[in-house]
Amino acid sequence: MTLPAPGQAEQVRRIPDAPDELRLDGITKSYLGVQALKGVSFTVKRGSIHALAGQNGAGKSTLVKILSGAETPDGGEIHLGGQRVRFREPTDAQHAGIHTIYQELSLVPSLSVAENIFLGQLPKAGRTVVDWRQMQVEAREALARVGFDLDVRRPVASFSVAEQQAVELAKALHKDARVLLLDEPTSTLPQPDVEKLFTVLRSLAEQGVTLLYISHRMDELYSLCDSVTVLRDGRNTADLATADTKPSDVVTAMVGKSLEGSIADAALRGERSPRLGAGPSDEVLMSVSGLSEEGFVDDVSFELRRGEVLGISGLIGSGQSELAGLLAGARRKTAGRIRLAGRDVSLAAPRDAIRRGIGLLPQDRKAQGFIPEMGVAGNITLASLPMFSRLSIIDGAKERRVATEMVARLGMKVSSVNQPMKTLSGGTQQKGILARWLARSSQLLICDEPTRGVDVGAKEDMYELLREFARGGGTVIISSSEITEAMMCDRVLVLARGRVVAEFDHDEIDPSGATLVSRFA
Amino acid sequence: MTNNSLADPVTTAPAPKHRPPQPPANGGSRLGAAVRRLLPKSYLILVLIAIVIVGYYVSEDFLTVRNAENVIAAASIVAVLAVGQFFVILTGGIDLSVGSTMAMSTVIVALTLQTGMDAGLSVALTLGSCAVAGFINGMLVVWLRIPPFIATLAMMSAIKGFSYIIQSTSLIQILNTSFIDAFSRGTTLGIRNPVLIFLVVMIVAALVAKFSTFGRSLYAIGGNPEAARLSGLPVARNLLITYTLSGLLAGLAGLIAAAQLQQGSSLIGVGYELDAIAAVVVGGASLMGGKGDPISAVIGVFVLATIINIMNLVGISSEPQLVIKGAVIVIAVFLSSAGGVQRISAFFQKFGRRRAPALR
Repeated sequence: MTLPAPGQAEQVRRIPDAPDELRLDGITKSYLGVQALKGVSFTVKRGSIHALAGQNGAGKSTLVKILSGAETPDGGEIHLGGQRVRFREPTDAQHAGIHTIYQELSLVPSLSVAENIFLGQLPKAGRTVVDWRQMQVEAREALARVGFDLDVRRPVASFSVAEQQAVELAKALHKDARVLLLDEPTSTLPQPDVEKLFTVLRSLAEQGVTLLYISHRMDELYSLCDSVTVLRDGRNTADLATADTKPSDVVTAMVGKSLEGSIADAALRGERSPRLGAGPSDEVLMSVSGLSEEGFVDDVSFELRRGEVLGISGLIGSGQSELAGLLAGARRKTAGRIRLAGRDVSLAAPRDAIRRGIGLLPQDRKAQGFIPEMGVAGNITLASLPMFSRLSIIDGAKERRVATEMVARLGMKVSSVNQPMKTLSGGTQQKGILARWLARSSQLLICDEPTRGVDVGAKEDMYELLREFARGGGTVIISSSEITEAMMCDRVLVLARGRVVAEFDHDEIDPSGATLVSRFA
Repeated sequence: MTNNSLADPVTTAPAPKHRPPQPPANGGSRLGAAVRRLLPKSYLILVLIAIVIVGYYVSEDFLTVRNAENVIAAASIVAVLAVGQFFVILTGGIDLSVGSTMAMSTVIVALTLQTGMDAGLSVALTLGSCAVAGFINGMLVVWLRIPPFIATLAMMSAIKGFSYIIQSTSLIQILNTSFIDAFSRGTTLGIRNPVLIFLVVMIVAALVAKFSTFGRSLYAIGGNPEAARLSGLPVARNLLITYTLSGLLAGLAGLIAAAQLQQGSSLIGVGYELDAIAAVVVGGASLMGGKGDPISAVIGVFVLATIINIMNLVGISSEPQLVIKGAVIVIAVFLSSAGGVQRISAFFQKFGRRRAPALR
């Protein structure tokens, strides 16, 4: 999300005389002959917050794996506090004091908060009996250090994502973390919790913990971090101090070319993003009244015009994702009616929706989007197999031809249309799912967080493809918690706790998106 | 061994643009390409050839027509089971009831033939009953949402009990020669009928898996059930068909067994479901679903059957045979699905690197 620009004073937190805590020197790593890291070197000062930026495939995750001990580098050295360290497995890194907090939290949901914090080293009273009281006291102390006060006896699963993240932080700190690696920690957090997390992280840095922060979000990097290392193609291409540079410098270093005039550039400079839609027609395509799914979506009504790009915005967990699922037949409604082109439809199953020209780009690509082992072509034709077959026999030539066309049209980076989908980058996978609906000639695309986990360049492509789709008369619903994305739509519904709390026309939203954010709850 | 036969080998790098366009397809080259695409990756065939070579050296009786016939006759039953099992495993499920279904098949066909029923009608009735058993498996999995392992485990017990009840005596002789000829002794076009049956089953299955929308959807369901559902594939219907098919093929395997043994008994087929599962897995399929192909599964059957045969010929008694069979399954699966080849080569690379400085 784009935030109102933070005060400069907050971000300049120089610590010029602090000693080097972490130094990487010429780290290389290759997988099956493909060189993922071609020599990465940078230094992080003790108690500083250092960002690691780069597009998908630039080598960020490989570097995280090496620093967390999950992979061993082929060459190069890691120095921690002046000492050379070698990690053969994750416990080595943890013993040395490097802890990693991954995007997907690694807590045991059914165990209590205290047990999770002490996992693997439960305090004992005597030899065999767990000292529960001491464990709870210490767990509360560890949580207090990150500014949270939770009932440590309750299972982790009963807490919100933000609270679970706090537990994970407390767990790392309890084990005397010197360096914390944070891999996109805010991707699942609502805005107020992001602010809270940042406060905690700043206070940790003040206590001398060194933070390595990985994120796609420039506004975050510049409001939180002291310095940035940019990776591109397995090398560090820039080491910048946030105090003397601006976000577009980082993006330029990431993509290796200037982004002038692009959507990302506009967003970075705080300009309003260009519209995706070509303007709605007068024809009502879909009308929804009183749509509800108990516990998620509550009495939602709206009309959607053909050719319109409608945004459904709100904090994560406000029901926008569930609403998208309902409209695509992926979830069951408990009340309400949906009319499509003037006729009542039940949309009881995805098949039903697909037959009526609705296509869904699900939020979780890996779990819901594609068949990992299957080739690109198979994934593209998956929803339209009857069109690619006669008497149930697949017309392989036609399938390959259409897949090849789609690959070219959407600019997908693949070696062949038989390349397994799981080996592609996030952006290319997302394009493959979009191609599935284009091949099906869908009239209405429902995109649930369409650019999540997609790098900057592919993000631009996705917007351009959606714009092209809308220009060709297609209708789009974008469900998103990204404000910049909502601001590109012709009209935006703001959801809170499953209800529509506000509706804005494109022109009613101010360039910073504050109008929208003010209605988030 | 075989990865997913639908896909090229894994490429991690964004490789050069599209492949050069396919050569213009005339009838002949299209057929050739189809055959080539049907063939499983050569690795498994090499293993089978290696085993045959070993057999040739350790026993002079091994490479004889008579012995080959024995191996193939024994393997044809498991091969038919393995094809049905393959489709179930492809969807991410498992069918533990096929051994029992096979036994039920021998009992039903023996009982009906005993009443003097026409052989054709008897066969149809038997296959129909076995398909119903498979359909019940499917209903338990699809509609009652019972995990396949549990559903088919329960059916394994229930079907076995049912065969005992209808059998009522110890075993039932089969005297109908036209039935025995059709499923065991007879030949068609110079090929023995059971061999012909499993070859036809295997080839049809391979074509279905590779070229039909049904086969494609099974790969999708096994690979990612939720994505398959969201893409509008008829997941429930295709799962029902798959379990029914497995039951039907178990019935067919039972017919071959009944004709070979010339009897029906609920004791036939004990443990065959595990042999079929082992063969499918040796053939490179993943129990997680979405991977493998039927021809590899059948080759997996022959890998295991040939090893057993060689051990029989050199006089290893049946108890050590079981131990060796277990070891073969572990090694084969480690080398194929568990990425053993890469791990071994990585180990040697690392070992070499660690040694290198000392040599200098």
